[in-house]
Amino acid sequence: MSNLVFYGALVWLAVLLGVVVVRLSTAGSATQRILALDLLTLVLIGLLALAAGEDQRAYALDAALALALLSFVATLAACRYLEDRKPFG
Amino acid sequence: MSALLADALIVLGLAVITVGVYGVVRLPDVYTQLHAASKAAFLGAAALVASAAVEGDAATVTRAIVIVVLLTVTTPVAAHAIARAAHRREEPMRTEGAVDES
Repeated sequence: MSNLVFYGALVWLAVLLGVVVVRLSTAGSATQRILALDLLTLVLIGLLALAAGEDQRAYALDAALALALLSFVATLAACRYLEDRKPFG
Repeated sequence: MSALLADALIVLGLAVITVGVYGVVRLPDVYTQLHAASKAAFLGAAALVASAAVEGDAATVTRAIVIVVLLTVTTPVAAHAIARAAHRREEPMRTEGAVDES
């Protein structure tokens, strides 16, 4: 992997991360906020995969896997709470 | 050759994930934003994970496959939960000419 592509992708993903955080804080409704959090996790998974591919650190992918699982459960719980205030019922 | 493939996958993933983020920022309501977040952003992240697996050893490839399969299974479920919550809370559809058929 060439250095230019790696560092360019790193900077670009960091910029996207900032855009999503701004979007998260200016969202119009609660569901849009949950959606922005979900998107934030996807961008973070991309960032961790980039770091894992650069110098073959498999543990970065472990973190991405845990993040994906956690974000899925968090999204489901938050949505069910918004619906009828009973996230696990 | 495989380094070139990894670079190409990174550029592709960046382009697709950028389209997803742009869609979430620009589209008018949560129902249309879900299209961008659950299709474009997911495919971009999957391409980035695949780029890590191209030159990787067995540990990296296994983890990459597990992550992509997990995202493929969970992203539609999460998107459906968000859309259902928005509809139950009676959020308006702000897209031009939108029809609520429920």
